[in-house]
Amino acid sequence: MSAYSVSRRGLLGAGAGIAAASLLGLRPAAAQQKDIRVFWWGSQERADRTNRAVDAYKKANAGIDAKTEFAGWSDYWPRLATRVAGRNAPDLLQMDYRYMFEYARRGAIVPLDQYLGNALKIEDFGKANLESCSVDGKLYGINLGVNSSCAVFDPAAWEAAGVAPLAFGNSWDEFVSKCAAFAKGNKRKKFYATMDASGHEPGFELWLVQNGRALYGEDGKLAFDEKDAGNWFKLWAELRKSGGCVPPDVQALDKSTLDTSTLTLGYAATAFPHSNQFVGLQQLNKAKLDITAFPVTAGGKPGQYLKPSQMWSIASDSKNPEIAVKLANFTVAEAAGAKILGVERGVPASSGMRELLGPDLDEVSKKVVDYIGKLGPYTAKLPPSPPKGAGEVAFVLERVSQEVAFGVSPEEGGKKFVTEAASILKRG
Amino acid sequence: MNDAAHAAPPGDTPERPILHSVLIHSALIGVSFLMLYPLLWMVSGSVRPADDMFGGQTSLIPSQVTLQAYKTGWFGLQVSFGTFFLNSLAISVLATIGNVMAASVTAFAFSRLEFFGKSFWFALMLGTLMLPYHVTLIPQYVLFLKMDWVNTWLPLVVPKYFAVDAFFIFLMVQFFRGLPRELDEAAMMDGCSAWRIYWKIVLPLSLPVLATAAIFSFIWTWEDFFGPLIYLGDIHSYTVQIGLRSLIDSSGTSDWGALFAMSVLSLIPIFLIFLFFQRLLIEGIATTGMKR
Amino acid sequence: MVSFTAGDAVARRPAKPGRLSRFFFAGNGAGYMFLAPWLIGFLGLTLGPALASLYLSFTDYDLLQSPRFVGMDNYVRMATGDAKFAAAMKVTFIYVILSVPLKLIFALALAMAFNRGIKGLPFYRAVFYLPSLLGGSVAIAVLWRQLFAADGLVNSVLSVFGIDGPSWISNPNYSLYTLVVLSVWQFGSPMIIFLAGLRQIPQDMYEAANMDGASKARQFFRITLPLLTPVIFFNFVIQTIDAFKAFTPSFIISAGTGGPINSTLFYTLYLYQEAFGFFRMGYASALAWVLVLIIAVFTAFSFLTARYWVHYDE
Repeated sequence: MSAYSVSRRGLLGAGAGIAAASLLGLRPAAAQQKDIRVFWWGSQERADRTNRAVDAYKKANAGIDAKTEFAGWSDYWPRLATRVAGRNAPDLLQMDYRYMFEYARRGAIVPLDQYLGNALKIEDFGKANLESCSVDGKLYGINLGVNSSCAVFDPAAWEAAGVAPLAFGNSWDEFVSKCAAFAKGNKRKKFYATMDASGHEPGFELWLVQNGRALYGEDGKLAFDEKDAGNWFKLWAELRKSGGCVPPDVQALDKSTLDTSTLTLGYAATAFPHSNQFVGLQQLNKAKLDITAFPVTAGGKPGQYLKPSQMWSIASDSKNPEIAVKLANFTVAEAAGAKILGVERGVPASSGMRELLGPDLDEVSKKVVDYIGKLGPYTAKLPPSPPKGAGEVAFVLERVSQEVAFGVSPEEGGKKFVTEAASILKRG
Repeated sequence: MNDAAHAAPPGDTPERPILHSVLIHSALIGVSFLMLYPLLWMVSGSVRPADDMFGGQTSLIPSQVTLQAYKTGWFGLQVSFGTFFLNSLAISVLATIGNVMAASVTAFAFSRLEFFGKSFWFALMLGTLMLPYHVTLIPQYVLFLKMDWVNTWLPLVVPKYFAVDAFFIFLMVQFFRGLPRELDEAAMMDGCSAWRIYWKIVLPLSLPVLATAAIFSFIWTWEDFFGPLIYLGDIHSYTVQIGLRSLIDSSGTSDWGALFAMSVLSLIPIFLIFLFFQRLLIEGIATTGMKR
Repeated sequence: MVSFTAGDAVARRPAKPGRLSRFFFAGNGAGYMFLAPWLIGFLGLTLGPALASLYLSFTDYDLLQSPRFVGMDNYVRMATGDAKFAAAMKVTFIYVILSVPLKLIFALALAMAFNRGIKGLPFYRAVFYLPSLLGGSVAIAVLWRQLFAADGLVNSVLSVFGIDGPSWISNPNYSLYTLVVLSVWQFGSPMIIFLAGLRQIPQDMYEAANMDGASKARQFFRITLPLLTPVIFFNFVIQTIDAFKAFTPSFIISAGTGGPINSTLFYTLYLYQEAFGFFRMGYASALAWVLVLIIAVFTAFSFLTARYWVHYDE
């Protein structure tokens, strides 16, 4: 950058830079040999726990210094991307299942296989779990919590409507008729049995798998066709028609955040978040919530799968990857560290740590742990890695689902979605 | 129009009937309520329990009042909000001084002096207003990184001393151009330097616009979150806005009560700044007694 | 830029030969001395990153790997096959056309009202500025939902009249207008600038007009409005640039989605999605420079027309 030399001379020449720096009393400390930086997204509680775990690690390992940073989800990604682009990435960073593929394939995070068994002692996570943290056969993430899609509902509201709520093993048909019955029995104004999940990518994906399809194939292309997508939209169009799910403009309030969930906003008695969000959802809802699995296809295959709620990954720029790995290992595989983190990030992947934490769980967290435990028969094997552009496809699904909800026919919606999704994947 | 506020103490001039003023005030109060409704809701949100925040009620009155959120908000992060307030205050004051000084100097050049290439530079200056910052963010980050400024306040403060925000330059240019030319000419006859004209004539006559610029630069620096978000890494150097945003994690648990509580508190300093400078803005001209 | 250099008394004065100070004052020296801070900032801090983004607009740059030069590809794509680009353009133009005049009229009317003697004036002024203090606060999203969601305040009021309103904020037919309302609601900055402009009008002009028996309306059109034109011009140009670049309202209220159905997809929000959501900083940079071009054309046009309606004291 040519501007650099000019400005530096200009500023320092005028003494402004130096003066201001000392005035502000803030100079970055020169990086030391055993310094690492840790960055994650999450709440204050997560920050508290993680900082305590990092401090505990520092205490046990003299000479190592770890600086921590955190941000909310939506601030985290631009901040991380800027740092990676500036070749100033934090050593140890929290990774999301979807973003893992983007970061790994672009070489921003490193494979961890070489550490397995030495710095990283996570064999007891199990093969399936390690696979869920892998991209193209290489391990890129250290699981911080086991997660799955789920249905969360307000049992009292269902009871008030005189209908039994969704339960493990219910079929989609049962779900549809239950919602219609809810609409008949319900007395609250502007209140419906369920959110409209037609634009909800995890829901669509598991429904496809239940029907013998998939979102993406091994070749990275779409593994469903216009008709499949059309049928999915049709399923929800029916619910909309019967008054079983919220109307389109209410659903559009939902920005896939907990505070905008139609459940939290008091429009719906059922929502479909991820299981690790149950605790947060409960905090915002007065009603006592319960958690269960998605509906299944009658006689069909299981469709849900277990994936990491978040992982630790190591930046390619890290000068001390081994220290970062050891710190990560401390938080997930060593009793002292895992105990501090608790189940705040989700159910621990290590069976040993799960047992260790079991007795300390509060009632709400226990529901989540039980849910994951009971999910076994409903889980399928991990789908193929999503290709580049998958994030954008999820965006398109939401938009097309809204177009259908606001008037386009389901068939046309199916066509539109498949065409647009295919062209995005082609562009990559 | 002739009874502009600086002249007489504002108030009901004798010829204005009571009814008239009752009408004006009820209209103003009505509109004020509309203006304030969301803010009132914010205050009410700050004293609600979390599970009473979003459940579809539009009532301003919380079902239960608790001040808990002010406590958890203030002390909830590792560093108390007091630190964030001090940081924001320091950055905003430094930025405001820089902005007003640098912008007024530049605006003086553009509005009262002649030099080669003026139109060219002026057009470029306006051009800097047009580029969305999202695409310069990364090159700028790299620049500041090389200068070793990342994780300090310098990227947030120093550029203001070099008038990088063209808004303020353009604003002052428009006002400086409105000042009578004869003043410069007279001063020139007396052999005044350009600096003296700037300092002794233009600035004193421009108190309203200087106050305006000070208001905006303080408030906008206070509210800025993208800069601090990118450049500040250490929580001890966070500003209020970053502190506020740290309370919310849209993917998981958030402390909404604390967000509202701290948002309410974060308005107080800028509101006071506004009150202080608006007096300058309104009374400034009266004290200079400008006549033509 | 156009219309700018005219009529500087200082420049027209011929420099007396042999007087160095006079030479500097009339010539370039003083101008560049005063311009120096800005010039250093511009060349040192602003220009480099701007040129870098211009270069990036000709590359495929995903943030995580080094940029790859692709020539005009990004611009070609924009011109030929990007439906979202068209949608974003439409949303942005509607927003500019609606929000700028409404906000300015509102701001001017209230600045006029506040420039008169009403009891409790500072109080009202402060109250009316308060919404602008909220800026881009995260809380705005929640507050706006309280007003414009299905069961928000607006619909509660409408239901008194037996009207069952839609969920304004999340209905693609209305959502953009709730953002226009938000923009108008935050009219504080142009109001303050108008107020400052009004304060700068010399009072003796009104006194003279009063003595001549000019009506209030005549005074407004003959004195207030003409003398306020530099400020009106400023507010107009700035507000339009800001509206073209609007980002935060939709970023906060649609949580960055620009939804429902792209109805609030501001141009800069689209650009942001491309850059940070979909890892296409190259394309985003190209989008940005097209926006610069649009705004520049508009601004140049404004400056051209300014000769005919903006009155400076010269």
